[in-house]
Amino acid sequence: MKHIDPHIHCISRTTDDYLFMQRCGVVAVTEPAFWAGFDRSSAASFYDYFRHLTDCEPARAAKFGIQHYSWLCVNAKEAENVDLSRQVLKIIPEFLDRPTVLGLGEIGLNKNTINEITIFEEHVDLAARTNQLILVHTPHLDDKHKGTSIITSILKNDKRIKPERVLIDHCEEHTIRMARENGFWAGLTIYHISKCTPQRGADILEKYGPERIMVNSAADWGESSPSSMIDTCLEYMRRGHSEAEATEIFFNNPCRFFGQSPKWRLRPIE
Amino acid sequence: MQQAKTVLDRGFLEMRWRCLSLAADLDRVARCPGGQELLESDARVQKLRKAIGVLLEPCENRAERVELIFSDMTPPPARR
Repeated sequence: MKHIDPHIHCISRTTDDYLFMQRCGVVAVTEPAFWAGFDRSSAASFYDYFRHLTDCEPARAAKFGIQHYSWLCVNAKEAENVDLSRQVLKIIPEFLDRPTVLGLGEIGLNKNTINEITIFEEHVDLAARTNQLILVHTPHLDDKHKGTSIITSILKNDKRIKPERVLIDHCEEHTIRMARENGFWAGLTIYHISKCTPQRGADILEKYGPERIMVNSAADWGESSPSSMIDTCLEYMRRGHSEAEATEIFFNNPCRFFGQSPKWRLRPIE
Repeated sequence: MQQAKTVLDRGFLEMRWRCLSLAADLDRVARCPGGQELLESDARVQKLRKAIGVLLEPCENRAERVELIFSDMTPPPARR
């Protein structure tokens, strides 16, 4: 069975992880720009990060037969620094025409502050002006419900934004309806300490059905693994769902969402 | 749709160790100096107690209700 990991931070993963993903049937990944584990000192640091995402990582993935796509932004944590964020927002357009860039992401909120909201809105404005897809990071833990509510309100109130071109990521039991009922795509992140487990991910898939939903590992420099997305697929099938049903969620749905960008090269398996 | 007993049979040992693990976590805190007092006063542990209460209730959305117990429900920040 073919898989797509719609959200993984390959820059933080080893080459063995690429080999593991290839063995598991992963044929494509998308990598949003995120917090590196420390705050960058300048916009130039982001410039080089975007070069890494758009040049280096696609070549690294290709050695394992994996298509690598990326999303660019200032992550929600560093968005607290408004001046730096605005400098970075000025350099992002230079990269948007690169052949593997799908849009802006993972934009969003971290602690739901005014500064984060300001920079989130400026990213949304850039996406609207340049007709980009959007991948949204929702906050962790206690901040998730409130942050997801703020984010979906902002997006709904901007009439230039089409909900079907936005992926609200890191949804859990208490936020998935906010994403889906407003017409957005929903991402489930299988990252057991701070988000979902494979079992809870499969529960949500069964409860809410396969429409406009996808599953990712968001594997990064933390306690995480590219296997978590695969484990969720196995858990889903272990419950009696067919390979065709799993393919809808783990391959076709990412193709449908990402396929709204002309740069995406895979098509759903009918 | 799977049968309820099949699901329970498959998951029970894992449910058992998760319960046991949480019990041991609380014991570990309690064994430390001031541990018992902390378990009674810490706001996070109070939320944990409330969440455990939800597990005992007959309902179908326990996970969502537990998520909400651990959520900041204050209003959004005022705009400038």
